Amino acid sequence: MTRYWQDIQPGEQFETGELKLSKQDILEFAAEFDPQPYHLDSDAAADSIFGGLCASGWQVAALMMRLLTDALHQQAVPVAGLAAVPAMRWKMPVFVDDTLSARVMVTGSEATSRLSGAGSLDLDVVVFNQHSKPVIELSTRLLVAMQEPANAD
Amino acid sequence: MQTRPYIRSRWFEDIPLGEFHVFGSHTFSELEIIEFGRKYDPEVYHTDPEAALDTPYRGLVAPGWQLTAMWMKLMVGYMENFARGVQDGRRNGAGMGLQDLEWFLPVRPGHTITYTYEVIDKPDRVIRDCWGIIKSRNEAFNQYNERVMGFTIDILAERNPESPK
Repeated sequence: MTRYWQDIQPGEQFETGELKLSKQDILEFAAEFDPQPYHLDSDAAADSIFGGLCASGWQVAALMMRLLTDALHQQAVPVAGLAAVPAMRWKMPVFVDDTLSARVMVTGSEATSRLSGAGSLDLDVVVFNQHSKPVIELSTRLLVAMQEPANAD
Repeated sequence: MQTRPYIRSRWFEDIPLGEFHVFGSHTFSELEIIEFGRKYDPEVYHTDPEAALDTPYRGLVAPGWQLTAMWMKLMVGYMENFARGVQDGRRNGAGMGLQDLEWFLPVRPGHTITYTYEVIDKPDRVIRDCWGIIKSRNEAFNQYNERVMGFTIDILAERNPESPK
């Protein structure tokens, strides 16, 4: 059964599934969007601030979206987009073959949004690696479709 | 030849507060929106032009994180231009965090997005002995000059070891 905006309350918490990031995934994203040596070349990365080949921070953010989207689809939540990220911090690099998963907490709910027919939910999201270390932390405002009132007739 | 482990950049001290650049534009194609959507944000309004007509967006729109990824691509392309005239290598650092990221309007296939960057603060902090923080405000506009996205980001820049502490 569809879980609309009305069906989700602040305080609700859930865990997402997992995604493992291969060297190929890191190189492909970096070549297209973030061609800096520490995302493309193992030797260069070893000598950088990160100490090893690691994913673009923007790829980690995009993977967070994938984890979140897949988890919400499993719960039959009609996601209508992401409106904002009031704050996000990159805590640790994500290295080759790291496995990511996220913990999500609903912290607020607003009946209006920039998209008609959708309300917004405030979420706190923490993405962890396989050692249970946080790699990114963020607060987001997610748009979720509202259940339309039943027709009077 | 050994690859540099970093893109050449300016010293923290040489990046002026208030510096402003219009640093790049990109026209988003239907195909690249669908490819990014399938990998990172599989909603029909990012992956299926037909089914997207039946959503509140009334058509395909680019995932929000594709707009930030494109910001990075254009920024990397421009970073060495910022450092023109710099002789020796100095390291650009990692992003630490961002604030107030907001997507204001949908970006559709064929839209041309232009990105701007302004240095708004250089907080008086030294990270791990050799890094300073450059805080910049970044905006993205479509071809109608409507703002589609904005965010503020903190990025590390290496401090000049010879500058007075």
